[in-house]
Amino acid sequence: MTTAQTKTKAQADWEPRIVAFCCNWCSYAGADLAGTSRIQYPTNARIIRVNCTGRIDAEFILSALDKGADGVLVSGCHPGDCHYTSGNLKLRARWAFMEEAVKQAGIDPRRIRLQWASASEAQIFADGVAKLIEQVREVGPIGRSWK
Amino acid sequence: MTEAEAGATEGAEVPRIGVFICHCGHNIAGTVDVEAVAKMGESLPYVEYSTHFMFMCADSGQQLIKEKIAEHNLNRVVVASCSPRMHEPTFRKVVEEANLNRYLFEQVNLREHVSWCHMREPVAATEKAADLVRMAVARAALLESLPIKTVEVEPVALVVGGGVTGLRASLDVADRGFNVVLVEKDGSLGGHVAKLASVYPTAEKGTTLTEGLIKRVEKHPQIKVFTNSKVTDLDGYIGNFDIKTETNGKEESHRVGTIIIATGIEPFKPVGYYAYGEHPDILTLAEVEEMRLKGEVLRPSNSKPPKTLAYIGCVASREAGLKGHEHCSRVCCTAVAKSAGEMKDTTDEVVILYEDLRTYGRGHEAIHREARHKHVIYSKFPPEKKPEVEVADGKIKLHWHDVFSGDNLVFEPDMLVLASGMVPPEGIDEVAKTFSLTRSPDGFFNPEHVKLAPLTTHTAGIMIAGGAQAAKSAAEAITDASGAAAKAVGLMARGEVEIESTISNVIEELCSSCHTCITACPYGAISMDESKDPPVAFVTEAKCHGCGTCAAACPSSAIVMLHSTDDQIMAMVEAYLTTYGESEGGAA
Repeated sequence: MTTAQTKTKAQADWEPRIVAFCCNWCSYAGADLAGTSRIQYPTNARIIRVNCTGRIDAEFILSALDKGADGVLVSGCHPGDCHYTSGNLKLRARWAFMEEAVKQAGIDPRRIRLQWASASEAQIFADGVAKLIEQVREVGPIGRSWK
Repeated sequence: MTEAEAGATEGAEVPRIGVFICHCGHNIAGTVDVEAVAKMGESLPYVEYSTHFMFMCADSGQQLIKEKIAEHNLNRVVVASCSPRMHEPTFRKVVEEANLNRYLFEQVNLREHVSWCHMREPVAATEKAADLVRMAVARAALLESLPIKTVEVEPVALVVGGGVTGLRASLDVADRGFNVVLVEKDGSLGGHVAKLASVYPTAEKGTTLTEGLIKRVEKHPQIKVFTNSKVTDLDGYIGNFDIKTETNGKEESHRVGTIIIATGIEPFKPVGYYAYGEHPDILTLAEVEEMRLKGEVLRPSNSKPPKTLAYIGCVASREAGLKGHEHCSRVCCTAVAKSAGEMKDTTDEVVILYEDLRTYGRGHEAIHREARHKHVIYSKFPPEKKPEVEVADGKIKLHWHDVFSGDNLVFEPDMLVLASGMVPPEGIDEVAKTFSLTRSPDGFFNPEHVKLAPLTTHTAGIMIAGGAQAAKSAAEAITDASGAAAKAVGLMARGEVEIESTISNVIEELCSSCHTCITACPYGAISMDESKDPPVAFVTEAKCHGCGTCAAACPSSAIVMLHSTDDQIMAMVEAYLTTYGESEGGAA
């Protein structure tokens, strides 16, 4: 609540900028299905397609936050359902470290979100985007906590 | 290494990017200001040409791209339209026809990811579209051409499901000289059609239709049938799928080149609708048809033939918002007319309560007319006030409102038949998971394109046919089967198909021999080249699937994931974030 009360005018106009890394086979397709199903969700996320969440380097996330992203979403196939067998498990293992790295850099971990959404889980994908935006709104613009 | 060098020379030239924004009719342009986005495109680095057009995928749109490539000497193309999962292959082909390497094309998803999911926010959607185009242009500038690779196609097709669709598809493939592995979960072949008493538009038994097919399939030297079986594992890619089948606990491995999914449909058990399950004489149409196939229709309550019958249509169908029941099952209206017309010959009174009638197909209307000629009574009920069933003193009592007379009517039939909708069969979740296929909210498998490519899926080499795709009649399902078989045969007859060249590549000078990539690779595609001193990581190209996990894991940045390089990805992140403040008047 205090965040809301102390909002300046600039902050009131502020819209979170979200970089969303989606794997081609599950979440990118899930986002496609959200579109074909006409599920409406916030416009803040910009999706970057990667073949597998296993492709996602910790550096991508830290660098995106460094360059001014208010939040980063990583969305991939459910564990056990990876198109590449286990790329998402490698990412999951890396995620624990990423969260720690984000915290150590003085960034609120609520700015990053890892979710699993299959190609048929359009609603889960859309809800995940909305959830991250909600979290990021609580924390505020990235400049306040870092840089 | 030669491809890396080839890429380097291509990448060394100054990018000349063309940007093409698609209206997709009203689909994109109805929400996104395409003109403004195209205008913005002109100002981006390396963009030589930027425009917008009604349909980029249409012949005229494709022609436009080719013309502009020649006119402006473009060496990179960005098309902002639908999902690349739909039209990336189309546009890659277009740029290839203009003598550009297919990997110098980049697609932006303005339809599924923007206009369709932000329909009520045109301003924010346009801003998002502009950002995505800017990101794609930044990436396009860094794209490199890659060599085109082909793989051989194993001349074997896997057919999943032994109903009429699977049987027809198996025969079509095998008759053209290719081997077939047919996997059926039940103990016998024939599927849903084998349970029907009288298959419209003629009147033969379902078994008459299936037995002929089954006999030919079982005798065919090139078809191997596995009943009581399922596919438990799938690995590989188009042309080279490695599958595992399980039959009564016994596992077998097969290599197949193509796959046809023909899992069919089954009638929904309408528990919770019209007192189904609360009285033995309330049955589904499928249950009554099975009874008719085996002999006489008898009331389960007293084993006597019913004198009066009532049917209710659209049971658990066409219920928008309810999971799995949004669709019209297409077959029920005609099937009810046929069943009721034939039952009228041996009963006193037959009443059909319906919400709408859709006897759409060839010969269907004649069946509807014949039922009415036999004095089957049709009574329409309003969709907002469905009939009510009262079960008391061992009797079934129907109350409904007849739309045309405006009267509230009551009828006590000996037997009530519910025409319940057709749904994907039990076990469909497992099939979807094994084959990594996407499904519609109704549970049927999604085609690659609902109009232009209804039989192929987003996974190259996997086809869907018949009830796997939507509820449909036997004749329609069989049409699909022959179509899917033709698709599979086309691939196998060609003998080889092109595959993605997007694999990982080791920069040997940077490799510190730490072995991290070897543990990261899910396919065991990376090994150490011991002939080098010190040994460096080495990628076996045929084994690499291109997930890029090794590239992310490498602590020395010695692995480049082609077409998904660190630079290409970070260029997108940067393009999104760095120009924001300027375009928004410093809101950040």
